[in-house]
Amino acid sequence: MSTDAAAPVRDPAWSLSRSAIGLWITEGVLGTLLYGALVAAFVLFVPVGGPVPVLRWVLPALVAVYAVVAIGIRPWFRHRVHRWEVTAEAVYTLTGWLTRTWTLVPVSRIQTVDVTRGVLQQLFGLATVAVLTASSQGTVRVWHLEADVAARVADDLARRAELVRDEAT
Amino acid sequence: MTGPGAQPGTWPGAEPGTGPPTPPQAPPGRRTSPRIVAVHTATFRQARQLVPALIPVAAVVGFDDGLTTVVVLAVAITALSLAAAALSWWRFSYADGPTAVVVTRGLLARSVRTVPNDRIRGVEVETPLLHRLFGLVRVRVDAAAGSVGVNEEEVVVDGVPRAEGDRLRESLLARRGSAPGHASAPADGVAEELPEEEFARFDNRWLLYAPLVGSYLVVPLAAVGTLFRFLDELPDGLVPRLDGPDLSDVQVVVVAVVLAAVLLALAAVVGAAVVNWRFRLVRRGGSLVAVRGLLTRRHTELEVDRIRGGTLSEGLGMRWVGAARVNALVTGLGQANRRGQLLPLGPRSEAEALLRRLADDPGVLRSHPPAALRRRLVRAVSAGLLLTSAGGIATATLGWWWVLAAGVALTVLSVPMGIGRYRSLGHAAGPRTFSVRSGWLVREQAVLQRRAVVGWQVRQSVSQRRQGVATVVACVGAGSGGYAAVDLAAGDVAGFTGAASSGTWAGTLAP
Repeated sequence: MSTDAAAPVRDPAWSLSRSAIGLWITEGVLGTLLYGALVAAFVLFVPVGGPVPVLRWVLPALVAVYAVVAIGIRPWFRHRVHRWEVTAEAVYTLTGWLTRTWTLVPVSRIQTVDVTRGVLQQLFGLATVAVLTASSQGTVRVWHLEADVAARVADDLARRAELVRDEAT
Repeated sequence: MTGPGAQPGTWPGAEPGTGPPTPPQAPPGRRTSPRIVAVHTATFRQARQLVPALIPVAAVVGFDDGLTTVVVLAVAITALSLAAAALSWWRFSYADGPTAVVVTRGLLARSVRTVPNDRIRGVEVETPLLHRLFGLVRVRVDAAAGSVGVNEEEVVVDGVPRAEGDRLRESLLARRGSAPGHASAPADGVAEELPEEEFARFDNRWLLYAPLVGSYLVVPLAAVGTLFRFLDELPDGLVPRLDGPDLSDVQVVVVAVVLAAVLLALAAVVGAAVVNWRFRLVRRGGSLVAVRGLLTRRHTELEVDRIRGGTLSEGLGMRWVGAARVNALVTGLGQANRRGQLLPLGPRSEAEALLRRLADDPGVLRSHPPAALRRRLVRAVSAGLLLTSAGGIATATLGWWWVLAAGVALTVLSVPMGIGRYRSLGHAAGPRTFSVRSGWLVREQAVLQRRAVVGWQVRQSVSQRRQGVATVVACVGAGSGGYAAVDLAAGDVAGFTGAASSGTWAGTLAP
């Protein structure tokens, strides 16, 4: 985080709302419960003299490590990394936590703008804005914006894309 | 139920009132030639879909190995194929109207597909062997439909006479040209007299490259595999009992291997000849036209306005003899690998000259920083090192020294591969175009016009961050969708993206 000298490009200006942390923690808890249930089933139903006895200790330990990372570390890390920005000419995001991805798409090449709200996102009042272009790889997703901000951004982008669109390919 | 020919007045897609000022000229639904029924019967085109349904039926009826059963079955399947072919011919019609192509088909559920003329990306006329015997052609109309699946974007009119196929192609391309948004298109009928400029012509000597090209070797290998499977499934009584050659004799093995290599090379040459026979690429007005093929003659037309650049790819063997192939990158083109092919196989100099015609020369490729070489080497060697360390343990505990030997050999061999991968890397940004290159087994250089870029993606993993490099992907609405400059120096990223995209928007990335 401190080695900003190695950053290849500028970071986008705006960070996400803190509700996103709550959502990521919830995702981490759900993931931990799922893996925990699987491992518990393994420990309970596979007889003690099973094929690899070490697994009875390694698997619960792995779940514990996953719980610490997914609930205690990753949400805050992600919140510090994730950023987004809409400028006069382009949409710009930074995502990821270990591997970082910066994506930039000019407004003139936007083909469609989607707003989606998952079940968890609805609980936290959040939404995702997806900006699609002619390229399968040139899709920008702004995750976990407040729902009203997301709607405003999507409207604004769709309107401006209509005005400045050249060929969009 | 009315046949499609019985409703000439109603034409889906042409709404009353919104049509052109001329009186509504709803074209009658045209039929394909009845001769196509014979072709499809012979190739079991429709009946093929019924095979999964036939297997349980056959299982219920039961096979006794009598000859009558086989004959009855063959006759029944042929009759079924004839019926299916006739039905689908009867229920198929097409119409090329002033604004759209409409294809109506379907046995029970009628399907009507309407493709507006301005969505048409290209028209391909192909002549498989059987079609040629009956004087028929198959016309494929390629339409861009965003991110819909590949086969959804295509309209196929199978089995019209040669002259009708040519008429259809010319009328579709001329109308597409006069559609709004294409001001520079030639008027109807002019397309015939436009001067042709030849871009490339296949030299039969280039066929000698074929044995070194992976894709031409795969076909004969697959054929051999199929043959063996077939022999396996034949009842034992039908296979003649041959005494296998004595494999312990070294001479026999060497002769067999040499013979197999020669046969494989021959098959590759023959395969390349069949596909690329009399290949010719010409520019005619606003289109690039490629014609090729011995048995199936293929005629592909690409719109020059939609070409955004090209790729030059060279496999390992091709680099050895200085051969290359060129593909055009065309926006909204389905099955781009096959259709975009502009030079299937040829000398490197020829390929480069052709690529220059698609996009200006962006200048000499700049090599990537030493960190990129380190990363390539580490990646290449890691598998070998893993095996070596496993081999060390195996030698100590089990005495399996050969695992260790294999690990060391793999490690040593992967060093030149890592260096080769690094040497492939390169990028350049010229005044109007830019270029990126990567790959070792198949090295691919993409040269793209600046206007092709619809977005940039910069990726940096933890180790890339430590080493001060990043991977930059130019997102493009053509070809594979993205072309990457792997392990660029982090400080060069903003400069490269700014120089390689049109307009000022990429300046957003500058620190």
